[in-house]
Amino acid sequence: MAQERKIICILCPNCCELDVSYEGKEILSIENDRCPRGLEYASEELFNPARTLITTVPIKSRNWKTVSVRTTKPVPKSRIFDVYDEVKKIRLRAPINRGDIIIENVLGFGADVIATRTVKE
Amino acid sequence: MIEKKVDIAVIGAGPGGLAAAVSAKESGADVLLIERNPFLGGILIQCIHDGFGLHLFDKNYTGPEYAEEMVNRLENAGVPYLTNCMVIDLNEKKELTVVTSKGLMKLIAKAVILAMGCRERTRGALEIPGTRPAGIYTAGVAQNLVNIQNLRIGNDVVILGSGDVGLIMARRLKIEGLNVIRVIEILPYCSGLVRNRVQCLEDYGIPLTLSSTVIDIHGKDRLEAVTMAKVDRDFNVDHDTTEKIDCDTLLLSVGLIPENELSKKAGVNLDNRTSGALVDNFYETSTEGIFSCGNVLHIHDVADYASNEGFFVGEKAAEYAKGKWKHSGGKPVKIGNGISYVVPQYIRNDCNEVELKFRVTQPFENVRIIVKNGDDVVFKKRVLKVIPSEMNILKLKSIDPEKDVEVKIVIIDKNIN
Amino acid sequence: MDKIHDIIIIGAGVVGCALARALSRYKLDVLVLEKEDDVAGSTSKANSGVIHAGYHKKPGSLKATLNVAGHSYFQRLSDELDFPVKFIGKLVVAKKENEIEDLRKLMDRGFKNGVKGLELIDGKQIKHFEPNVNGFAAMHSPVSGITSPYLMCIALAENAHLNGVDFVFDTEVTGISKEKEIFVVQVSNGSIYRSRWLINSAGLNSARVSQMICENDHRMYPCRGEYYITDKVDTLIKRLIYPTPSKDGVTLGIHITPTLDGNILIGPSAEYIERLDDTASTREVMDKLKRESSQFLPPIKEAKFIRNYAGIRAKLFHPSSGVKDADFVIEEDESIKRMINLIGIESPGLTAAPAIAEKVVGIIGEKEALVDDEKFNPERKAPVVFEHLSDDEKARLIEQDPDYGEIVCRCETITKKEVLAALNNPLGVRTLDGVKKRCRAGMGRCQGGFCTPRIVEIMTDEYGISPEEIYKNNESSNMFFGKVKDDREEG
Repeated sequence: MAQERKIICILCPNCCELDVSYEGKEILSIENDRCPRGLEYASEELFNPARTLITTVPIKSRNWKTVSVRTTKPVPKSRIFDVYDEVKKIRLRAPINRGDIIIENVLGFGADVIATRTVKE
Repeated sequence: MIEKKVDIAVIGAGPGGLAAAVSAKESGADVLLIERNPFLGGILIQCIHDGFGLHLFDKNYTGPEYAEEMVNRLENAGVPYLTNCMVIDLNEKKELTVVTSKGLMKLIAKAVILAMGCRERTRGALEIPGTRPAGIYTAGVAQNLVNIQNLRIGNDVVILGSGDVGLIMARRLKIEGLNVIRVIEILPYCSGLVRNRVQCLEDYGIPLTLSSTVIDIHGKDRLEAVTMAKVDRDFNVDHDTTEKIDCDTLLLSVGLIPENELSKKAGVNLDNRTSGALVDNFYETSTEGIFSCGNVLHIHDVADYASNEGFFVGEKAAEYAKGKWKHSGGKPVKIGNGISYVVPQYIRNDCNEVELKFRVTQPFENVRIIVKNGDDVVFKKRVLKVIPSEMNILKLKSIDPEKDVEVKIVIIDKNIN
Repeated sequence: MDKIHDIIIIGAGVVGCALARALSRYKLDVLVLEKEDDVAGSTSKANSGVIHAGYHKKPGSLKATLNVAGHSYFQRLSDELDFPVKFIGKLVVAKKENEIEDLRKLMDRGFKNGVKGLELIDGKQIKHFEPNVNGFAAMHSPVSGITSPYLMCIALAENAHLNGVDFVFDTEVTGISKEKEIFVVQVSNGSIYRSRWLINSAGLNSARVSQMICENDHRMYPCRGEYYITDKVDTLIKRLIYPTPSKDGVTLGIHITPTLDGNILIGPSAEYIERLDDTASTREVMDKLKRESSQFLPPIKEAKFIRNYAGIRAKLFHPSSGVKDADFVIEEDESIKRMINLIGIESPGLTAAPAIAEKVVGIIGEKEALVDDEKFNPERKAPVVFEHLSDDEKARLIEQDPDYGEIVCRCETITKKEVLAALNNPLGVRTLDGVKKRCRAGMGRCQGGFCTPRIVEIMTDEYGISPEEIYKNNESSNMFFGKVKDDREEG
């Protein structure tokens, strides 16, 4: 049974509003795409949507209360709050370097959670 | 009183100021960078979301990562800097008065680069009626309180204005477990970038109500509710469409204002359109030897562009400090149909190459961007979509500076095409 | 709480504060109960801060005599208590020729009330005084002035406190009785306070408070006044600009007041409302304020507004009843001895406050001997205002204390030291509005955008206040609901 969906491609400022028809894991047709990247984007969004989680972690430090963190690559969109719950358990102490791995391979998604700022003391 | 002389003083260490300091130093000038926060990076530090560095570093950095890359460049270049220090006075002679924890400093510079950034429009500036309870924050303040101070600012949140900071904060608060009820926008379209609308609102099912605004605020002590109503094209409120929304927090994301109080003290003339300085294509202001870049000059959509501007301005200021060229003034750029502003506002008469940055007055589809130099069309580009939230940049290679330059939007007649 | 105070004052508005200070020179045990979180918590904080010359009110009335008497105290109070006053003068402007007759009447009242220096000037002279102001003629009142209503209240209260008066905030009086000649005052948290004298200076609530024990038929008609305040535009006007008063005589009309800090206040409007606490601003009146003020001062249309707000006048009459004015009620109750009611203290209440205080001292003094307290110190020093200092003084202060070297509020150039001084105020007020009133942090064009996070940090880190306990003003106005993420290491 073919299904239809509107997807806004956000890869460039044109932001094409794609009309996509798909069945199972196959795209049947795509309209309003102005470049080939539209198909690639639509396919990811339909069958494998993923997002980078960005949040903060409390830190014991002289001047800072938090350090910002992110996943090194996108994690499944539907599980973003599960990843968040893992990050929420973490407390850190300075010093922390940018890029330090806070959680390795979070929930087995192949992404690490890393610090995005250096906190020296 | 501490006294000091320097070739170039850069005021503000955000994306623009950091870049300006690096390039001025690399151009051989003696530079001092002054930042009022206790850290370098300006607003980038609280912008923990990604989307930074795509143009400059070809990487998708978060704000703090972008800042650290820039600070690394600053330290590699060996630029001295002061943090926790605020310039409280600046005059035409380029004498700065700086408050530092070690004392008051008089700094005499050959050139000054203004990079103080912007502030947010407040409830007072919006003139929203109603009570004045706790729980009303501008989006950037909320961003600081949540991301830096680790403070929970509320439970049930309404956001007025679909500017990028508001959209980003909608997602941030949702992720942190707050109930983001809706975003309300007075314009008939979202005023932030499309990718933010999609990834911050649509991803999380946060409704966006267009052509509407907040007309009343309720609650004596802590915010209890806001009243929303529809507006027409001229922003007249339709009082038959009011809806009271219970909430304890209202975020305002309704525009940024370049912070030019210091610039005014130095006699810098401002542009009513941008609220930033009027500059020529070397980014020199009306006050000789004082330059401006980044959000204090005009509001940028992307930090990378503010940095690029800073790199250019740093080099030009260094040239000026070495006496390579003199203050000129130049010919004003004409603002044609569909254009809300152009920076620089003047083109020097000794330049054939110029980069123009501009925004459009409203969203357009299928139009031509045209630049005329006298009677000649020197730039012509057909664009499928152009929106006010995006800054457009175009480079002109060989213009005649003696003739007028005009930027305009021409709507393509579909029938002729 | 078995302690019996000599005097309890209900209400720490400008009248309560002036009275507390006036009484603090005697050997008396004085307590002030205030329902808000700070002094000047209600009507007084939304006052224009105008020191009136005294030509408005009917000769012989308390309003007229106490205004003129009150005016004469201000310079000395300012010198002793270190709060700002500036006698900048006022123009009452007639837009049309037919209003000149009203100006003459006003001048006549002024002469009868003993106001000095009033003169009638023509349109040309208006332009000479105030180039941006339009008008046909004007009455010039050179002795009119401005102050900061909350700095004045804070100064009075701090000096009273220094001389032994206690202030209790967030405490609303809920009941009054008298047992064996002693007043028993019940308050919102269930506590009881006792005193020999009870002075009701409860402003908007003064009629209600009096009727907790006295029998009278005073009725309060709350009359809201809305304001706009502009960003600093100190070159626009030098003097107070008032319209010729309306014929109904209810209010002074929408006027334009330069503040001590270079902003301009527009307002207040005058709308009779239902509730005593309805300080919401309204679209209609906000539009009216702009419209009416621009008739006198056209460039005000271009000004940038940073805030709008409203206050409520404690009026004892409603114009629909045909009454044009009601005098202040300042009297000891006929049957409840040693209960002094101050009811209907509205304009010119701020100017009159020092004289009202002396009148109340007089009422008490008639009944019992007031003994001078030889320890009374009439002087109070205001905290340093860094921005007002010369560069050399600024440099010296930073060398003495590096906290002067950190600017917390950018718009108003307020240092960390000033914020700390505001938090350390003698009255113990520790709210964000309390800081704002005392040192101006958050009063500027960004309205606290840049400094609020830093002030909150200072409050939590240096005073150990938990985020939940940070209030905008009273205890229901919490700013935060804890932390985003629990930061205790044990989690």
